Amino acid sequence: MTIDRLVHSPARLSILTYLFVVEEGDAVYLLNQTGLTWGNLSANVTRLQEAGYIEVVKEFKGKKPRTLLKLTHKGRKAFQGYQNKMKGLLDIKSPLP
Amino acid sequence: MDTSDQKQIERRVFTSFFQAGFIEAFTGIFLLQLGLPALFSRSGFGDWESALLTLPIALILLIVVFVIRKFVIIPRLGHVKFLPERRRRLSKLVLVPVLTLIAGAVVGYIFSENASLRHTFVGQIPFALIPIIVFSAAAYFLDIKRLYVYGVIVGFTFPLGKYLETVIGSRNILPAIMLFTAFVFLGMAIVFLVASLRKHHEPEV
Repeated sequence: MTIDRLVHSPARLSILTYLFVVEEGDAVYLLNQTGLTWGNLSANVTRLQEAGYIEVVKEFKGKKPRTLLKLTHKGRKAFQGYQNKMKGLLDIKSPLP
Repeated sequence: MDTSDQKQIERRVFTSFFQAGFIEAFTGIFLLQLGLPALFSRSGFGDWESALLTLPIALILLIVVFVIRKFVIIPRLGHVKFLPERRRRLSKLVLVPVLTLIAGAVVGYIFSENASLRHTFVGQIPFALIPIIVFSAAAYFLDIKRLYVYGVIVGFTFPLGKYLETVIGSRNILPAIMLFTAFVFLGMAIVFLVASLRKHHEPEV
């Protein structure tokens, strides 16, 4: 049974979780919810973006730059697939009495 | 993680945007707008005059609260677009002022038919029910449970104040209790705001 190792990392799992429960969020939102540092967040978002799990949109709100992130369809499916796999793994009953 | 865990996380994310004292400030201003007119009307002003005189104070405070939330708190919490289900539920918040108007109209009708009832302890019960209903509706649509408690506290000021007025014999006890409770909520709002500002620093983007 293969587990998606891109999702199976504490930092990336946290990012995907907090993007899964909203439609989109900016980097500040993810920083607050995940507790990651800027560098850690940036590195993991880049990996997820390269895999096509996250879409990153950079825009300006007035004069301030803002980075919006949202899960792609592929990203949502990958996250749900990971959930189901882990649930299946953790639901195994012990073969010993 | 099953659907109920997802809902819990989503709810936790949503309520994290309401921990900076916004709810407490709104409750305090609501109580101010009950207590100040009551105090003025006991000083010789008519009911409508009292309400109009104190309205600017409430409006100014509301504007200050919304400005702080928009320009100080939200930039520190980040921008989120919640899922359609949450947005649909929020859109029903418009029912809260509608409920307030209906409840107020019903109470107004009851007292227009029985003017002397207003000055009795029993006559305070309809007044007490209005904030309980309104805050409960807001608690349901906003999914913020402490609003149920705040509604009961606000509602309780009516019968408590009237009871103490009867016991102590002063007509200013009811507005005093409302104003005291209002300042407690406003004080809580400031404490939560400061705590939020210390927890969430201005992001260096």
